[in-house]
Amino acid sequence: MTNCLKLVQLSHRVLSKMGRGGSLPGEIGLKLDPNFIEKFKMPAIVVLVTGTNGKTTTSNLIAESLRAAGLKVINNRRGDNLNVGIATLLATNSDAQYHVQAQAAVIEVDELTLYRQFRNLHPTHLVITNFFRDQLDRAGEMETIIRKIQDVTADFKGDIILNGDDPNTLRIADTAKLAKIHTFSVCRNAVSKDKTDEASEGKFCPRCGSPLEYEFYQYSHIGRFHCKKDGFGDVTPDVQVSKINYDTESFTVDGTEYHNFINTIYAIYNCASVLTVMKTLSLDPKAADKVFRTFVMKEGRNEVFALSKPCVINLIKNPTGANEVMKYINAQPGEKNICIFLNDNDQDGHDVSWIWDAHFERLNTPEVKHIICSGLRAYDMALRLKYEGLEDRITVIENSSEAVHWLNEQNLESYVIATYTALHPTRAILRKEASR
Amino acid sequence: MNLKILWMYHDLMDLYGDKGNAEVLRVRAQKRGIETVVDTCTIGQAVNINEYDLFFLGGGADKEQNLIFEDLIRRRDGIKEAMDNHTAFLLICGGYQLFGRYYKDQDGNVVEGLGFFDYYTEATSRSSRCIGNIAVETTMDGETFKAVGFENHGGQTRNVATPFANVLKGYGNTLEDGMEGFMNDQVLATYMHGPLLPKNPKIADKILQRALAKRYGRVELEPLDDTLENKAQEVMLKRLH
Repeated sequence: MTNCLKLVQLSHRVLSKMGRGGSLPGEIGLKLDPNFIEKFKMPAIVVLVTGTNGKTTTSNLIAESLRAAGLKVINNRRGDNLNVGIATLLATNSDAQYHVQAQAAVIEVDELTLYRQFRNLHPTHLVITNFFRDQLDRAGEMETIIRKIQDVTADFKGDIILNGDDPNTLRIADTAKLAKIHTFSVCRNAVSKDKTDEASEGKFCPRCGSPLEYEFYQYSHIGRFHCKKDGFGDVTPDVQVSKINYDTESFTVDGTEYHNFINTIYAIYNCASVLTVMKTLSLDPKAADKVFRTFVMKEGRNEVFALSKPCVINLIKNPTGANEVMKYINAQPGEKNICIFLNDNDQDGHDVSWIWDAHFERLNTPEVKHIICSGLRAYDMALRLKYEGLEDRITVIENSSEAVHWLNEQNLESYVIATYTALHPTRAILRKEASR
Repeated sequence: MNLKILWMYHDLMDLYGDKGNAEVLRVRAQKRGIETVVDTCTIGQAVNINEYDLFFLGGGADKEQNLIFEDLIRRRDGIKEAMDNHTAFLLICGGYQLFGRYYKDQDGNVVEGLGFFDYYTEATSRSSRCIGNIAVETTMDGETFKAVGFENHGGQTRNVATPFANVLKGYGNTLEDGMEGFMNDQVLATYMHGPLLPKNPKIADKILQRALAKRYGRVELEPLDDTLENKAQEVMLKRLH
């Protein structure tokens, strides 16, 4: 079936000439040959990155760090994490005999489909960022996702890098008995809290069912937990962040100071996972620090557009991510306007009830002057804010171009938050508006 | 006038934004000058259910639902007493199922319910869940109107003597029978998430009236500005038309 690969590679070249990227080549490959992905001879290092939040950022950080350490790396940097995206990545980076031309592949994989492609991709490393409550109509209950990943890693002999402060990911350590388990953890710091009011899953010990006890929470259910009965959660982390200085945007591991590309707790967890990967590969962590210092999040992750005043766009897709974005917005000084795009297409999840699990009351601060609600479910968003006492500051503008234009006219710093299918169209509108 | 709401297992049965229902009831009552308390109660916590005007129980993931089940059964007498004293009940999804005769899961394991009502629930296979946006028409306390929500359940609830609503679009209690939920004079039990009440202000007000009736008899509620609520409902009704 080498012809199939040739056809896919040809389609990629034609599409590229037409200025079109995307996953169409992979789609063609999988249509012609359902076993397309397993045909590839993978590089010596294959790092799969999965989890609920932070997959795209983490996998890009890992890929860049491996490059900075001198390796030839391929990765699906735009977050095309489904079969077609992965097939495209492999096909466009291999020779005619399905040999992937790289020393390492860093592949972001959707947590819902990981179990289908896991063995085909011949991973050497599996990184799990976290498991949060996500779009439930699409994802099913988180429990189902974890069990499928447990099934597929039961006989895995490679390295598994787990968030040691997330009981939902740490569960994998109990069932992946043949794998080498590595964990990362972050110490108590300025944002840590004794109690949480954020929607969370995994309040109980997966071994014995007793409630987990928390020394502190970082965000959602991420924090230092343990089970009094059986010691679940008592980890000796491979990478322990021992200090965070939010003023200098830096953190410390093993006495070495690292600089962070964005001043948020979840980004420090992303960095800690990267350092753990570097450690298991015996690569110089300084290479990662170089990346941390200069890494620019793109594609709607804290991306800035030059409207009349700066406008920052962020993706939201579940309560935990939304909560963290709102904390970030609140931490930025000065008056601001906010625009929320809520869609309910397939990739957003048809069920928008998750907005009631997120803490939108956090936007009820004196600095927030006005909130525009837009997108297919603009009125659901407006209602959510109305019941947090923001009634006098909300306006529904269903048309996205008009919503962005309104922001531009206000001459005030603004923050746009958008669900998945609204993200790229909104970025395009922002780009256009910024060049007016 | 005051109103006391008991929100059961707020920390475990809080899937699909059901907490929004408690928030909507509190805000809509307070806008009418009714002093409102929302108390929560979790596993093992002592509470006199009969002291409350409204008992609210939301849905949870299977794992959480199994955890609360035994605790709920231990409270059966307290719930019965509250029911006999005209407390209003709002039960969503898992809460709905647990008030029936039993729940039979995919492996055939049977969990006995509280048995207040004759309906029972049996799981279907994973592949055929009732999932998606839903529009219904209901008649509550003499008034007929439409309502919208989101359903996501594998359980098929049958033998429902008095359903809450006719299904206009979507599934309802089972994949095939076109009826949704259970309702009598004091209990509204439904699979409708969304959450249910923000986009259905009429249901919210009917529930408030039922709850207030326990101590105050028939209470008229002054109308509120529901422009956003009605608009959100209209968008979904139009789409499902």
